[in-house]
Amino acid sequence: MARGSLTRGLDAVVEFQGVGLSLPKRRRRKGVGKRQRLRRLAGDSRREEVWVLRSASFTILPGESVAVVGGGLPARQAFLRLAAGTLIPDEGRVLRSDTVIPMVELARALDRTFTIRQNIYLLGGLLGMTPNQIGPQVQVIAERAGVDSMMDRYLGAAPAVQRQRMAWTIAMATHARAYAVDRSLVVGEPEFKEQCWEHLRREREKGTTFIVATDAPRLLREFCDRALVIVDGSVRAVESVDEAIELVREARAQGKLDDPPVG
Amino acid sequence: MLVQRDLQRRYSKFRLGYLWTLLEPLGMAVVLWFVFSILLGPRGLGLQPYLLFLSLAILPWWWFSKGINASTKVFAKNGGQLRVSLLPAHLWVLRVVLVSMVEFLFSLPVILIALAVTQFWPGPLIALFPVAIVLQFVLMYGVALIVAAGAVVIPDLARIVKIVLRAMFYLSPVLYSISNIPEQFQTLAELNPLVGIFGMYRVGFWPQEVYSLAAFGVACAVSLSLFVIGLLVFRRVEPRILKEA
Repeated sequence: MARGSLTRGLDAVVEFQGVGLSLPKRRRRKGVGKRQRLRRLAGDSRREEVWVLRSASFTILPGESVAVVGGGLPARQAFLRLAAGTLIPDEGRVLRSDTVIPMVELARALDRTFTIRQNIYLLGGLLGMTPNQIGPQVQVIAERAGVDSMMDRYLGAAPAVQRQRMAWTIAMATHARAYAVDRSLVVGEPEFKEQCWEHLRREREKGTTFIVATDAPRLLREFCDRALVIVDGSVRAVESVDEAIELVREARAQGKLDDPPVG
Repeated sequence: MLVQRDLQRRYSKFRLGYLWTLLEPLGMAVVLWFVFSILLGPRGLGLQPYLLFLSLAILPWWWFSKGINASTKVFAKNGGQLRVSLLPAHLWVLRVVLVSMVEFLFSLPVILIALAVTQFWPGPLIALFPVAIVLQFVLMYGVALIVAAGAVVIPDLARIVKIVLRAMFYLSPVLYSISNIPEQFQTLAELNPLVGIFGMYRVGFWPQEVYSLAAFGVACAVSLSLFVIGLLVFRRVEPRILKEA
């Protein structure tokens, strides 16, 4: 199945069917580098993998806002990418009835060696817009991101905060009906953050679907209708964010989460 | 589709120093021509005029080696884009092949220069020249898909590819002509698809000496099958590529 392909006639925006995903384990860097290389020389290309999701099945309906909590950062990011289709599951399948924009480390996709204008086309294109769709919006995007005065300068000169603002505005300019948002994207100066949240709320009223991954679920109490909790690779749907917070606390108490406690 | 277009546009921005794409292969061709034609004497390798003979293969060779080399690094380099891209991953490989192809097309005036210098004009079989370009593109796309996918699974592949490419430079008739090879190895050599492809580039100029239906057939067959294999391999490895991105 091609990435990002859509299933017609599906009720849900996203439907996970027995999805499993393993990710390569982050190796501890300290000291093992040499041994690792020697091992590879010896023909041992063993890689450790961890199942971050196992037989996850659930649906997300149009207009819902769902918080994703628990797991670890890699697990949550993988989750969002699975939902958007930029990651292919090892088991099961993920169906989509609409484009889901993956807002995961978007700013990393920008290219410093291009001008800001080119970057708008680049990221817009990656997110499925055609140049004709982007063209009329370039000015709006630039103004919202506060980069309209330096459109033809190279991105390398722009500070990280600005890059993130750009990425965010471009993603919003796709006018997609579903977003998979990594909350860490909503950063920057408080003013812009507030703008982002306001924008999110407005979009939500319009019936846009949001899947928001976070390590600080408290902030999502109002925004999200329900939550999905990842513990030990299994996904559990709960009715409210509060419930999710409770579950995460329990799991952490039992040592099942390797995430540092935040929020 | 969009990717290709804006990539070319962007790359053309870098190519302000366009002259270099001309000078680099031209310089190379002249050096090799000097060594193999002047220093080693006229009895040497290949066909006359050697400068033209050389540049007809060395430009496509550069396209080939640059493209394949770059494809070992595509996914390591573009992880950030791949993570969020809703476009299929093989477009990144296509991009690398296309970029090197554009460079190749830009460097074609070198051949015109060689033509002007040698005053050696092609016959009707020059029609195979564009065919060779298409065929080389197909071949490269297939190989690049395999190499790009392989490099994700085996990081060491990038080094291996470098060595293999170096070997292929000498194993392919760039500096010499297939007729320079001892009889008994000729059939073996013709299994190399590049033999047929380089032959197609040259056949317009030396219809007698280079023409080999067998080599052309092999080139077509190998290119197409490698293309199909490339697509299959890539599809198998794609989940892994995305994961590592």
